[in-house]
Amino acid sequence: MEAASTTETRTATPPAKKGITDRAKAERKLAWMLCAPAVIAMLLVTGWPILYALYLSFQRFDLRFPDQKEFVGLSNYSDVLTSSTWWSDVWTTLIITVVSVSIELVLGMLIALVMHRAIFGRGPVRAAILIPYGIITVVAAFAWKYAFDPTSGFVAGLPLISDTAQPLNTKAGSLLVIILAEVWKTTPFMALLLLAGLALVPDELHEAAKVDGASTLQRFFRITIPLMKPAILVALLFRTLDAFRIFDNIYIIQPGGALGTESVSILGYNVTINRVNVGLGSAVSILIFICVILIAIFFVKALGTSTAQQRGEEA
Amino acid sequence: MLSACGSSEGGGGARSINWYVFNEPGGSYDAAVADCNKQAGGKYHINYVKLPTDANQQRELIVRRLAAKDDSIDLIGMDVIWTAELAQAGWIEPWEGERKAVAEKDKLSGPLKTVQYKGKTWAIPFTSNTQLLWYRKDKVDKPPADFTWDEMIDDAVSKNTAVEVQARQYEGLTVWINSLIAGAGGQIVDQNADVKVDDSAKKAAEIESKLANSKAAPPGMSTNAEDQARQGFESGRSDYQVNYPFVYPSAAMVGKDFQKNMGWARFPRTEKDRPSRPPLGGINIGVSHYSKKRDLAFDAAECLAQPKHQAIAAEKGGLPPTTQSVYDTPTVKKAYPFADVLRASIEAAAPRPVTPAYSDISLAIQKTFSPPDGVDPSNIVSKLRDRMDKAAEGKIF
Amino acid sequence: MSERHTPRERAFWSIGILVVLLYALIPVAWMLSLSLKKPEQVADRKFYSGISFKNYEVIFSDDTFLRALVNSIGIAAIATIISIGLAAMAAYATSRLDFTGKTVILSGALAVAMFPPISIVGSLFELWRTIGLYDTWLGLIIPYMTFTLPLAIYTLSAFFREIPWELEQAAQVDGATPFQAFRKIIVPLAAPGVFTAAILVFIFAWNDFIFANTLTSTDNARTVPAALAFFTGASQFEQPIGAISAAAVVVTVPIIIMVLIFQRRIVAGLTAGAVKG
Repeated sequence: MEAASTTETRTATPPAKKGITDRAKAERKLAWMLCAPAVIAMLLVTGWPILYALYLSFQRFDLRFPDQKEFVGLSNYSDVLTSSTWWSDVWTTLIITVVSVSIELVLGMLIALVMHRAIFGRGPVRAAILIPYGIITVVAAFAWKYAFDPTSGFVAGLPLISDTAQPLNTKAGSLLVIILAEVWKTTPFMALLLLAGLALVPDELHEAAKVDGASTLQRFFRITIPLMKPAILVALLFRTLDAFRIFDNIYIIQPGGALGTESVSILGYNVTINRVNVGLGSAVSILIFICVILIAIFFVKALGTSTAQQRGEEA
Repeated sequence: MLSACGSSEGGGGARSINWYVFNEPGGSYDAAVADCNKQAGGKYHINYVKLPTDANQQRELIVRRLAAKDDSIDLIGMDVIWTAELAQAGWIEPWEGERKAVAEKDKLSGPLKTVQYKGKTWAIPFTSNTQLLWYRKDKVDKPPADFTWDEMIDDAVSKNTAVEVQARQYEGLTVWINSLIAGAGGQIVDQNADVKVDDSAKKAAEIESKLANSKAAPPGMSTNAEDQARQGFESGRSDYQVNYPFVYPSAAMVGKDFQKNMGWARFPRTEKDRPSRPPLGGINIGVSHYSKKRDLAFDAAECLAQPKHQAIAAEKGGLPPTTQSVYDTPTVKKAYPFADVLRASIEAAAPRPVTPAYSDISLAIQKTFSPPDGVDPSNIVSKLRDRMDKAAEGKIF
Repeated sequence: MSERHTPRERAFWSIGILVVLLYALIPVAWMLSLSLKKPEQVADRKFYSGISFKNYEVIFSDDTFLRALVNSIGIAAIATIISIGLAAMAAYATSRLDFTGKTVILSGALAVAMFPPISIVGSLFELWRTIGLYDTWLGLIIPYMTFTLPLAIYTLSAFFREIPWELEQAAQVDGATPFQAFRKIIVPLAAPGVFTAAILVFIFAWNDFIFANTLTSTDNARTVPAALAFFTGASQFEQPIGAISAAAVVVTVPIIIMVLIFQRRIVAGLTAGAVKG
C-alpha cells in the first residue's frame, strides 16, 4: 500500500528531483520526530537494563558481599548451562508452553467459531470471554489455587477426587492446575486473534464448496484453516512467547516452583531476588532472553514461508 | 523525594524511628509501639511499618532495601534465621558494652543463640516460638516422655488417624528437617558456618519417608503449611499434630470441648535415648547500619523488647517470651497452660543453621527433601551434600 | 440471513454459549463465594455457605488496600495516557508516512513486547534505586508505558490505516482550516481506535505483578497485585483466604462492568491488531 501511495506522490508532483527529495526528507524528518519519544522510551527502559544485565552476567556479584564483586567471564553461563536444574526447568517450561498453547489453539478456535457463527447471543459471549482477559492474573491465580486447595477447595469436595489424590500434591497435578490457570486466562486473547482471521475467510468459498457437496468438517479443514494460516501463526507466536515467560501463575499456585514446577522465570526470580546473586541471576535472565528470541525466529520464519507460500499460490 | 510525600509509613522526621516488621494480627506489636512512644515522651517516635505476611517475602524486601543502602530503615524485626546473613553483610549494628548486657539479660538460651554470630551480639531477642506435639486426649494415649517419631507414626497407623506436619516445599520443611536432624545429634553446618552434612540427614529422611508413605500421612502432606495442619487437626482427621502454640486459642473456636480434649507434649524424639530438639522461631530486633539515628534506634529497640511487652505479645499474639522471668507472670501463665513445656522446649530448641548463606542452604534442603513421598533415604546424604556445596558456593542447584 | 433456525440448532448454540459462560465465570463465582464465607466456613469446600460481609470489612479496615487501589488506578491511568500519546504519534508515522527505518522500529517494538520481564527487573531495581525512582509512581509508570507501547502502536496503526485521510484534504478544499478538518473529521474517526487501545493498555498495566512486586516497598506506590501479599489472617500462620477473596472481588467487579460496557470496542481493537499481519 505504501508503495502505491509513494508512486502517486511521484506522479502527482511534477519532476524536478530536488523537490521530491526535499518533500521525502521532510516527511522522513517528521516521521522520526513523531516516533522518537516512543523509540527513546523503549530503548531506555528495555535496552539499558538488558545491557546492564549482560554486564552483570559476566561478574561474580552477590548483593550480600558487594566487595567481592569480580569479573569472571563466562563462568556464570557455564555454571547455568551445566546444571541439571536449568535444563529441567527449561523442559518444564517447554511442557507448560506447548501444552497450554495447544489447548488454547483448539479452545480458542472453538470459541472463535461460536463468536463468529452463533445465531444469537454473541453479545453475552463476547462479554463473558473478556472477563478472564480483564481479571488481574494473580487474582485469577488465587482463585484457582483456592479452588484446588486440598483442605478448603471445592474441587477437593468433588466426588471424583479422593483425599489422597489431590492435584496440588503432585508435580503432574500441579502442572495441570498451572496450565489450567494459564489457559483460562489467555484463551480469550487467542480466540479474538483467531476471530479476526475467521472474518477474513470469504463466505463465497464456503457457499461454493457447499454446492459442490463438501461437508462441514471438510470445509473447515480444507478452506477455513488454510486461509487462516497467517492469523493462526501470529496468534501462536504471541501466545508462545507469552507462555514461555510464565511467572505469575506459578508464583501464586506453587510458590518457589515447588514440587518440580519451577519455570525458567521462577528460577531467575529465585536466584536474582531471593538469593540476591545478581551475577548468576543475570546470566539466567540473558539465557531466557535468548530462548525467547529463538522461539520468535522460529515462528517468524514459519510465518514468512507461509505468507510466501500463500502469495505463490495466489500468483 | 517523591516517596516521602504524604506517606502513612516511614516518615522522615528527625525523631521518627521506622520499625520494619511483620503485621502481628493480634495487635500486640501495635500496643508495644504505642506504649514506647508514650514512654519516650517525644525523644523518639516509632513508626510501625508493616512487611508482607510471608516470611520469605519479608526477607526479600528487607535484603533488597539494605543492599540498596536505604536509610529509611531504622529497626528491623528480624526472623531468627536472618542474623548471620545481615551481620556478615554489615547491614546491622552489633550490640556492645552496656547494650549487649541489656540484650542478653535473663534470656532463654535458645533465643540468645539466635542473636549471636562470630562472637558478637547482633540484635535483642523479642518474641520466640517453638512447636509442641498436640494430641487428642480422647482418642490417643498420653505420650511417654521419650516418645519418638517412629512410635507416633506407628500408633497413628494403628488407630487409623493421621499426623499433621508441615512438609510443603518451603521454610517450614527446613524447620522440621532441621529438628529431626538435630534430634539425632547431627548438624548441617558447623561452628564456622561450613557445610557439614552427616548421616543424621538419613535418619531425618527415613522419618519423613515413613510418614509420607504410611496410612498416617495426611492428605495434602506435600502442600501443608502450619494453617492447613491446624485445620486437619481441628477437622478430626488427624489426632496428632506438631505445630506452634497458635493452634491452642484457635481450638477454642471449634466449639464443644474441643480445646478441653487437646493435650500437649514436647516435640517427639528422633532417637529413643536422645532428647528432642524442638524447632525455634521468633523475632529479634536489630538496628540497621544505614540508619541515621542509631542511638535512638537502640533505645527504641530496648524499650520494645521489654518484658512487659513480651507478656502482651504472649497474651494477644500467642508469641512466647524470650525473657525467662516473663514465664512466671500471671498473664503468661493464663495464656499458656502449657507454659512449662513451652519454656523447656525453647530452652532445648535447635536453631537452624547459622550461616550467612542461610537462604541458599534452606532452599537446598527444601529441594532435597521434597516431595515427601519421593525421598530416598539411601542417597539423601550425598544429594544433600552436593546441593549444599553448590548453594554455599553461589551456584545453581 | 433469513434462514429459520431449527430447534436443534438453537439448542446446540445455547449449550455452546452456556459452556462459554460457565468457563468464564466459575473462578469468579468461587472467589465471590469464598469472600462471603465466615472464617470457620472457609474449609467447608462448598460454594454457598450463607452470606457474611466480614471479609469486606476487614480489607477496608486499614489503609493498605485502599491505597493500593488508588495506586493501581492512578498508575495505570497515567501510564495509559502517556503510552497512547507516544504510540499515536508513532502509529501515525508508521501508517501514514514513508521513511526508512519503519521496519526497524516496528520490529524493535515487537522485540520489546517479547522481553521476559524477569530479565530486567533486577537491573531496573538497581537503576531506579540510583536515580531515586524506587518505590514511586513514576518508577512503575515508566516500565508499564514502555511495555504497552508495542501493543498500542500495532493497534493504533491498524486503526489509522482504515481512516480515509483524503477526507481531511477534501474538507480543507471545502474551506475548513487544517485544524478544523482534523478536529471534525479525523478525530471522530480515530477516536474509537484510540479508545480501544487505551482500554487494552490500561488492562495490561492493571494486571502487572512482577514489576509492582520488585520496584515498590511501601504503600507509596504498591499496586493491588503486590498488596495482596500484605493481607493477614487471624494469626501469623493463617492464610488470609477470606481477605484475598474479598479484595479479588472488589478489584474484579469494575473490570467486569467495564468489559460489559465496552465489549464491542475491545473486541474490535484486539481483532484489528491481529489483522495487521
